Formats: sequence, structure tokens, C-alpha cells
Amino acid sequence: MIWQQLESLAGSYPLAMRGLGMTVVLSLIALVFGTLIGFGLGILRIGGSRVLSTVIGAWVDLIRGTPFLVQIFLIFFILPELGIKLDAFTAGIIALTNLNACFICEIVVAGIQSVPKGQVEAALASGLSKWQRMRQVVLPQAMRVVLPPLVGQYVLLIKDSSVVSAIGLTDLTRVGWLVVQRVPNGLLVFFLVGVGYFVVCYPLILLARRLEKRMSAAHGEVQL
Amino acid sequence: MLENFSFRTIGEYLPLFGQGLVTTVWLSVISFAGALLVGILLCAMNLQRSRALRVPAKAYIDVVRATPLLVQLYFLYFGLPRLGIILPELVVGVLALSLNSGAYVAEIIRAGILSIPRGQVEASVASGMSYLQRMRLVILPQAFKVTIPPLLGQAIVMVKDSALLSLISVAELTRAGQLLASDRFMPAEGFITVAAFYLMLYYCLKGLAVLSGRWLGLGPARSRA
Amino acid sequence: MARCSCELPSGRFSVVIEFQGVNKWFGSLHVLNDITLSVQPREVVVVCGPSGSGKSTLIRCINGLEQIQKGDLVVDEKRVGDPATNMTLLRTEIGFVFQSFNLYPHKTALENITLAPIHVRKTPRAQAEKDGRELLAKVGLGDKFNAYPSQLSGGQQQRVAIARCLAMRPKIMLFDEPTSALDPEMISEVLDVMVAVAEEGMTMMVVTHEMGFARRVAQRVVFMDQGSIVESGAPEEFFSNPKTERSKAFLGKILRH
Repeated sequence: MIWQQLESLAGSYPLAMRGLGMTVVLSLIALVFGTLIGFGLGILRIGGSRVLSTVIGAWVDLIRGTPFLVQIFLIFFILPELGIKLDAFTAGIIALTNLNACFICEIVVAGIQSVPKGQVEAALASGLSKWQRMRQVVLPQAMRVVLPPLVGQYVLLIKDSSVVSAIGLTDLTRVGWLVVQRVPNGLLVFFLVGVGYFVVCYPLILLARRLEKRMSAAHGEVQL
Repeated sequence: MLENFSFRTIGEYLPLFGQGLVTTVWLSVISFAGALLVGILLCAMNLQRSRALRVPAKAYIDVVRATPLLVQLYFLYFGLPRLGIILPELVVGVLALSLNSGAYVAEIIRAGILSIPRGQVEASVASGMSYLQRMRLVILPQAFKVTIPPLLGQAIVMVKDSALLSLISVAELTRAGQLLASDRFMPAEGFITVAAFYLMLYYCLKGLAVLSGRWLGLGPARSRA
Repeated sequence: MARCSCELPSGRFSVVIEFQGVNKWFGSLHVLNDITLSVQPREVVVVCGPSGSGKSTLIRCINGLEQIQKGDLVVDEKRVGDPATNMTLLRTEIGFVFQSFNLYPHKTALENITLAPIHVRKTPRAQAEKDGRELLAKVGLGDKFNAYPSQLSGGQQQRVAIARCLAMRPKIMLFDEPTSALDPEMISEVLDVMVAVAEEGMTMMVVTHEMGFARRVAQRVVFMDQGSIVESGAPEEFFSNPKTERSKAFLGKILRH
């Protein structure tokens, strides 16, 4: 019987590869855009006008305060009601990118706040403009603090991408769900699905740990 | 269309949302208690000298952290019956949340214990305390303080994660929204209401985190650069 | 320095920094109490006083690191805090040396010096680097251009910080306790650089307790206590014949050790 199941599983191999591909593509797109938008939001949260900063803060709180599953449902079901047509893939990308951007915004804000006040004052005193201060003095130093949790956030992103299976996107998790309907061995099927995620996530976790160690070992003033 | 947003329907479904909210709250409480249990156990194993205890604990934590909760949930949901273990969905859900959050709790507690300066250990060793005395009288009381805020943070994550239980038909808060969405074709009403309830829970826990920080004498967030 | 002070517009007015009834509060604490003070071009003014007397706040107001709440403060003919004043532009004319150096840890000594000239003054990079190396040589660190701040001693860092200010060719230099974070054996190397800057005719306000420095180069010593200017006069006069009880008590304390 187990042979039969293995055979059936082997037949699902192309489907599994498609699922893994979907997971990777979703995560990569959300990673790139989420990082760009997240940095933008974080910088504006600190350096933008009061109104802008408050609006960003409220939005980030809204996203951090609700389950990602609910956010996906909201985007997938409500945007069409507003006249914006979108398929599950686009909805998934929007939801994941937004989630990622909001968490990265918080990471960037914490990084910027970790830069000693004297650094900003020194830049101020030499007449650097607001964006020059940010670009030349604050951000490069903030990066030391930002990098480890940023990599950690990418792991969260990949894991969160599994939730888009709820709106029918055929990612790795959805493939497991489909296969388990035909091959009634949940332990084996989701073990294999888990291995798929582990292979992608674990190296990133190790990287985050190494970065963290390097940062705490190099406590104080160091060059990048 | 959103201009037909029906508060009346939300009103009709309010009892259902209420039940869902109550279920989400108490299943979160139980799961968090379970997570604390799992976390303390894992952390205790992780801090031992013996490799036979440390390695399994570390491996468990890594595996949980490197795979999605939804996959873990499906693993138990579709896998346990295979082992002849038939449990209600709700129990499977609580189990998954506890086992998942437990790995994160273990790391939080470990970080708390490791944050205690070496001098504290040395001072207690010098005054002749045993390992257990040191832990009980010197290390844990101090570690407790620093772990409270991150533990509350983990609680927030867990409450939000519990929404995934709706996917194995546990009748919690998100499920109530799904029912309204599918019964009446009113996803806006359903999911906006659900989001509002989660936000309420989020702000309660966040307020608690701020209060506990103040109560424990931990400084507020650093001033802006 | 290649700068010729006779070209300065402030030369015609004979006042570069003017406080007129300046007041500032931190909450209910009155940190600057009705300050009136003017500084002439090429003048070196030393500000001293017990900690918490408001002396750091006083010079931090000059380049707008702190805002004044009442009174007038005119620097280089521009009113500080006036919306019409471009503070960023004004700051390029004012060098500021911090107690804790505040060198940028991610940049080398030379990069610290050339950052503002390149990005604010739009000096071509090659020119800025050439000037930067000259300035480093001038503060006695000609071989350290590639060193990061973490590889330099406190005294060396502070000298780089002074060079960083000079690179902007400022009209005024402000020093906020430049030697108090230093080990004793490093103090003189920094003071020597400051003396050299003063002797070239820089307008300077220096918050310090280094009385030897005050005697050597200052034209005036201003003594502050509890947010007010209590006494002000020539260094010799102030040190040998303090007029108020508070300044006597203060001098007794700092000269004893």
C-alpha cells in the first residue's frame, strides 16, 4: 500500500514543482517590492511630515493588528466590489507585499532610532540637508541594526506566503492540500511539503543568526 | 458594492461574531498556556550540558521556525488520523498553536536568561548557591522581567495565527466572517467586522504590553533620532 | 588657512554673534535666563561655569541645535529661528565640535572630513580630498586618512572632528567641552590644535574648564551659573580677581585639582 502511495506521490512531482515555483515567485516579488516600499515607509515615518508619519503609523498598526488571512480575504473579495478586477495571484502579491512592507517599515524605524543622537547633530551642524543626513549618516549606520531582523522578516514572508493557498493559489501548501485528497497519507504529504519550506527557510535563518552574532560581537563603533 | 454596506446584516450576525470572538479568546488562552509549557520544557532542555537533550530541542525549534504554521496545522490535521488519533478540529488547532508558539517562547525565555550579566551568576556562585538556588533566587526573577514584553508580543502573534484554524473549520472569529461572506455574499461586511474585532484584541494586548513594561520599570521606547 | 578674514561681510559690522535678552526653558527649568552677549570677529570667548549652568545650551542655540524661546539671536547677520533664515545654509558657516566627537563610525577619517564639502559645498571630490589631507596633516594626523574612528584614540578622534569643521571653512567655530571626554594625556594635543586655529583669527566660542587655554588665547571669559551670565571679563582679570561669590566658589573648585 505504501508503494502505491509513493507511486502516486511521484506522479504529483510536476505539480509539487509548480507549487514550489509559485511559492518562490510570490515570495521573491513580495520581497523586492516589500523591501523597497518598507524602507520608503520607514524613512517617511521618521522624516516625513507629521500627517504622513501618523498615517503610515496607523496603517502599519492596522496591518500588524489583523491576521494575514483576513487581510487576504479583504483584498481578494473587496477590491473587486470597488471595481478593481484582480485574480488570486495579484491579490496574493498585493497582500504579501503590503504585509512585508509594514513589518520592514517597523524594522527600519527601529534601526534609524538606534543611531545615536550625536550623529544626527554632527550632520546637522555641518549643514547636510535632511535627505543627505538620512542617506549619508543615518541609514548606513542603521543598516547594522536593520540587517539581522530584515533577513528574519524574509523567513516570515516565505512562511506567510503559505496562507495565500486559502484563496486558491496553487502554491506549495495548496499542492499538499490537493495531493492529500488523493493520497490519504497526511503525515507523509505534509512532511514533504514541510521539507520544501525548510530547504528555503533554514539557510536564511542561519544567515540571520550569523548576522546577529556578528553585530553583537562588533558592538560599538565599527566599520561596515 | 460598498455603498450598500449593510450594518443590519452585521447586527443579525453579531451573536455569531460574539461566539467566534469568545472562542478565539479562550482557545488563544489555552494555546498560550500550552506554548508556555512547551517553551519552558524546550528551554530547559536547551540549557543543559547533555547533547542528548540539547540537540533534539534545538532541532525541534529550528524545524518549527523554518516551516509555516499552516503546514504544521495540516500535518496534524491530515496526519493524526493516519496514526489512529481522531481528535476534534478545535483540539488539533490548539495543539498546533501550542507546539508552534512553544518554539518561539523557548527562544524568548532563553534570551531572557542569557541577558542576565555573567557577574550575577558569578556572585551567586561565590556565595555558595547551588544550580537550582541560583536559578530560582537570582536568574529567573531577573529574567522574568525582561521576558514579559516579548511574551506578550508572541501572544499577539498567536491570536492572529489562530485565524488559520478557520481553514480546518474551527468555529472561531474568522470563521464567523467566512460564514457571513458565503451565506449572504457579503464579504465586506464579514471580513471588516472580523478585522475590527481582531484590532480590538490587538490593542488590548498591546496596551497590556505597554503597561507591563511600565510596571516592570522597563524604559519606554527610545526617543527618535 | 587660506581664508582671508577681511573679506567677511561680518567684518564691517564688528559683531558676528549677538544674543539680545535670550531665554530658554526645558519644561519648567529656566536654562537660559535673559542672556545678552556679543562676540566680535576674530574674538575667542571661553564660557565656563558649573554643570547645568546652561553653557552648552548657550552655544547649541547658535547653530540651532536648540531653539530659543524668547529674545533675539543674530548670527552672521541672520536671525536664528526666523523662518526666513535658511538654518542649513547658516550652519555651513558655523563649525561645531562636540564633547563626544560624533565622528561617523562608518566612514574613514578622510571621508568624515570630505562628506560635507562634497555634498553641501559641492566641492569636486578630488579637490575635497586634497584639502582634507592637508587639514589632517595640519592637526598632526597626516598618516591617518584611511583609519576608521574606532581605530583612533579619543584625542585623535577629536582632532579629526576639528579638521572636519575646518574643511567647511567656517566663519565661526563652537566647541562644546571638547576635552572633557578625553584621558588627561590627550588633552594637550587637542588644545594645541585649538590654539593654532585661534591664532589664525577664527572667531571662537569655547565651553571649557581648561583655564590654561583661556589664558593663552581667550580675549574674554564668560562665567555662567543657573542659566545667567554672572560675570564676564578678560581672562587675567577674571582668574586673579573674580567679582562674585559664585565665580570665586567655582574657581576655587576647578583650580584646586
